[in-house]
Amino acid sequence: MVKVTYVAADGTRTDVDAEPGSNVMQTALDNDVDGIVGECGGAMMCATCHCYVDEDWTGATGARNDGEDDMLDCAADEVKPSSRLSCQIKLTEALDGLVVHLPEEQA
Amino acid sequence: MPLAPVDETVSIGDLVRDPYPIYRRMRAETPVVRVPSVKRTFLTKAAHTKMVKDDVVRFSSNDPTTPMEPAFRAHTLMRKDGEEHRRERMAMQKAFTPKVIKTNWAQLYRDITDRYLDRLPRGETVDLYSEICAPVSARILTHILGLEGASDEEMMRWSQQLIDGAGNFGWDPKLFEITDKANDEMDVHIAACAERLRAEPNDSALSLMVNAADPIPWSQIVANIKIAIGGGINEPRDAMATIVYGLLTNPDQLEEVRRQEAWGAAFEEGIRWVAPIQASSRLVMEDTEIGGIDIPKGDIVMSIQASANRDEELFEEGEDYHVFRDKNPHQAFGTGPHHCAGAHIARRTVGEIMMPELFERFPNMSLPDPEAIVWHGFGFRGPLSMPVTLN
Repeated sequence: MVKVTYVAADGTRTDVDAEPGSNVMQTALDNDVDGIVGECGGAMMCATCHCYVDEDWTGATGARNDGEDDMLDCAADEVKPSSRLSCQIKLTEALDGLVVHLPEEQA
Repeated sequence: MPLAPVDETVSIGDLVRDPYPIYRRMRAETPVVRVPSVKRTFLTKAAHTKMVKDDVVRFSSNDPTTPMEPAFRAHTLMRKDGEEHRRERMAMQKAFTPKVIKTNWAQLYRDITDRYLDRLPRGETVDLYSEICAPVSARILTHILGLEGASDEEMMRWSQQLIDGAGNFGWDPKLFEITDKANDEMDVHIAACAERLRAEPNDSALSLMVNAADPIPWSQIVANIKIAIGGGINEPRDAMATIVYGLLTNPDQLEEVRRQEAWGAAFEEGIRWVAPIQASSRLVMEDTEIGGIDIPKGDIVMSIQASANRDEELFEEGEDYHVFRDKNPHQAFGTGPHHCAGAHIARRTVGEIMMPELFERFPNMSLPDPEAIVWHGFGFRGPLSMPVTLN
């Protein structure tokens, strides 16, 4: 299992055990984590799974995928260098312990 | 596994009048069911509608027998998948982002809403549907798309005619004659607007598309604008009228919405309760199985989001309007790659501007005869009028 911590905009932390191979958006939905909507189901066609990767983890999660920048322009909340679409962060053992912060607004 | 059971009893007329008791029965008895009158296999459970829309490999958007194609005289992005769909959608998506709405348009939308509210007489009964819901949606959309010069009447008529054509599952040729004429008119107006926007660009969807460094083909620019006309007036109109009805027939909820300023939640619940777009088709690309039923390649399944939105597995008392639900995972905007491109706009215009301004202006508005409201539609659904007494 891969441990992922979601930090809500109000600071609430939720720890979740994820299946390797899943992604950060789907894992949130599967575990009822509020603050990630994922309306397009991971097709990179909405920006309602926007998250900020914790600064300790930006190296491990890597660069944005093709098309992700364009879609992030459509995010409801501020886009920062650490912004990602969480559907595009695939969970591997290397991301065990990952921390992501959630924006105030998704839709 | 068995093939889908066949329901010969359901007619299009029944579905247009009131599909909800039919869907409730289907969810309980035959959640995956062939409906010969519509020539499609209905999927009535939320898990199935979501799964089908998220999986464009097994379930293609390219329904070959869609009335949309003759209605729009185009193969639109709604019937495409993959890269082609992405490219056409992204060509105008940036005109619809929360940031663009907030910084460029929100004040204009407020002014438009105010102007139309100013025209209403106090102390009388007026049809909000025709006086506010439809024309305000039309006026706002004219600006979003870059179609200045089109009247409210034209925008509303084009939208209605496109929708009637796209929902023409009975393939009545008369409806396509009407859409042909509307298409001729729209083609002329869109071309004139494009010429103006090439000279004077702005943040509208049409301007963005015609002035792009690597524009999509003109035929697809026009088709995209038509899709937005079809989807950008009737849906906010029907959503708004439905929410007004939901709040005025549940005064305790209205009071609480006011207290908490929970207009966003009132909006989400309205479109869950009666989704303006109720159903969408997908072509089955390989032999597959849904809910223990064999679905053969070439079948056309219909995702009934109207039914998914009342699925007992997700919603308690789903047949009723309840703003303050713990969670509201409705599918009114669809799911998957074809998730509504106008969702942000709808939430902000209807939920954050139109609804609060209306109830602020007329705090004691009442609905004299809720029973007299006629609800109508199978593919697209809403009330046909919303007469309220203003004071």
